[in-house]
Amino acid sequence: MTTEQQNILEVKDFSVSYGYGDSAVRAVSDVNFTLGTGHVLGVAGESGSGKSTLVYGLTRLLRAPGVISGGDVVFNIPTDDGVKEFDMLAASEEDMRSVRWSHISIVLQSALSALNPLRRIGREFDEVLRAHDKKRNKAERAARAAELLDMVGLDADRLDRFPHELSGGQRQRVMIAMALALEPELVIMDEPTTALDVVTQREIVSELYELRKKLGFAMIFITHDLSLLVELADEIMVMYAGHIVERAVATDLYNTPRHPYTLGLMNSFPPLHGERKVLTGIPGSPPDLKALPTGCTFSPRCPYAMDICRQQVPPLSTLDDTGRLVACWLHEPSVGAAVPVELSKKNVSTKGGVA
Amino acid sequence: MSDVTKGQVLLEAKGLTRHFQVRGDGGFFAKKRTVRAVDDVDVSLRAGHVVAVVGESGSGKSVLSRMLSRIIPPTGGELYLRGELVDVKAPRTLAYAREVQLVLQDPFASVNPVHKVMHAIERPLLIHGTPKADVVTRAHEVLESVSLTPPQQYLDRYPHELSGGQLQRINIARGLAVNPRVLLADEPISMLDVSVRLGVLNLLRDLCDDRNLAILYITHDIASARYIADETVVMYAGQIVERATDTSIIDAPVHPYTQLLVSSVPDPENLESRHDVASNVESSVRFNYEGCRFSPRCPQAMDICHGNQPPVTEVGPGHSSRCWLQASEAQRSAVTISTKQ
Repeated sequence: MTTEQQNILEVKDFSVSYGYGDSAVRAVSDVNFTLGTGHVLGVAGESGSGKSTLVYGLTRLLRAPGVISGGDVVFNIPTDDGVKEFDMLAASEEDMRSVRWSHISIVLQSALSALNPLRRIGREFDEVLRAHDKKRNKAERAARAAELLDMVGLDADRLDRFPHELSGGQRQRVMIAMALALEPELVIMDEPTTALDVVTQREIVSELYELRKKLGFAMIFITHDLSLLVELADEIMVMYAGHIVERAVATDLYNTPRHPYTLGLMNSFPPLHGERKVLTGIPGSPPDLKALPTGCTFSPRCPYAMDICRQQVPPLSTLDDTGRLVACWLHEPSVGAAVPVELSKKNVSTKGGVA
Repeated sequence: MSDVTKGQVLLEAKGLTRHFQVRGDGGFFAKKRTVRAVDDVDVSLRAGHVVAVVGESGSGKSVLSRMLSRIIPPTGGELYLRGELVDVKAPRTLAYAREVQLVLQDPFASVNPVHKVMHAIERPLLIHGTPKADVVTRAHEVLESVSLTPPQQYLDRYPHELSGGQLQRINIARGLAVNPRVLLADEPISMLDVSVRLGVLNLLRDLCDDRNLAILYITHDIASARYIADETVVMYAGQIVERATDTSIIDAPVHPYTQLLVSSVPDPENLESRHDVASNVESSVRFNYEGCRFSPRCPQAMDICHGNQPPVTEVGPGHSSRCWLQASEAQRSAVTISTKQ
């Protein structure tokens, strides 16, 4: 790559709704972000926050009644002479097929339901390789499949196995190997480790870390586990009710959360160290997208909510020179609110400015 | 709840064991093989105490909870309810069910979707002989005890109208309806949204403290065990490998499996060591019945581990481990002599 700062994915004002007309539910609202080549973007949020809908929308894998209701998505495909801008939303279904898997691949949460139970693993690999690369013959495809399995730490003899003969962790490794089969520039991981044990999760995350160092693909990693994201991601985007509420460099977000929801999410995980004390998590229930409150969607659950929060939607604005974005009235200078101490901690890490 | 005092042992399992006979490799006529789902487990559930059982899938923790609730009969071992020996071979009695209740993992699957919530709450009450006239009052009471207020609003709804967190509270309320002494909670928070998990954990802890309830909390999340439990038990392949009555099991684990488990938890406070455990590859042999069950995966396995069951060794007050690393010199040499003979 000649240009270091090249963005692989540019998303502008992207929105997705479920249903049409008055009954439509907005699952993703005006999401903007760019993803640099080889970078890892973590997307955190609860179920219903729109994190999965976002990536299904971006890759045009949404099923009815899901509709992309607006926005621009540009995927910059690196070619021998520079980059080719590919408009993901305007492209024909046929063009999309050529981009999916070879340039963008996706790993889903449940590997068991993603693999055909009646087919041996080898046949799944063979099909992918044959569909996207006509030049290889059968023996070459088998060799490539074995090489891919080796890359994720599985023996080549797994190619003759059926999905049910593999453990959950092994199946998820197969999915990762398949996603990397055509050396894509962008891999999307939708909660790949949520259904796995913590030890297996650790093994897979370590493997992803090594593979990314070796192959240099960019990654969008979706999970509800913020602490896992801090380990993996360069930047983290926190979503709530379809909106980005905070976006920051991973360690900054963890060390100095600025949005009350981010703080609440972090406090929802009991810590491994320190004194045992009662944590409160976040009061109330996750929002119902059919009946969103006016103003800030988090305001009914927010311990710091002010009058303005219940009336107007806070804009997503830049907070400091690290490029951190926060959508919260507490941090809007025009409101002049006193920011609570837990949301204005100074950043002790070396990089980034003091907020 | 005047009849129980805090700390009194309510339900005790001694050497509880469950083996399953399954078809071996090689088709229908192959020789049967034994899966030792739970092997020789001792647990005491005390009033006002939470015991957490931590383990990966397949470690036998759910089978343990089914045996304690007597849904699955054990193949060995004894069960004592308030000090009295229970006949585990006989079918579960109504009296036993009144004392010991089970709350399951998936709130959506464990409440009947075609009936209103009231149905789920009133059924145990009617079965256990609450007079019809009192059922409504009692249903209101239990819903209030799990902080679902006003109760009528929830009783009139169908399960699909409630969120996962609310449904799990309904589940717990149903378990509490007959005023049990022991509550067995099998992964009660793993299917819930992250932001409501703590609420349910806090509820369990409060119920335990306020009602002197004995709780068995089954989980795969060792951090949540640290948060809620008075005693933590780590299971691997059907056996208890380490247990402690304080947080030392997480702060200073001694068994290599517990160490692996603790170091696998994502920990942003400790980013430096984040990819060190990768050396422990997933072994194709998950466990070994001859010696230490963890030995095929254990990074510190020695010769003695592969052929000999490790003894349980006390490593601190209330803290014990089933590992040859902590075994005394005498125990090790006893084994070496017996294998030589």
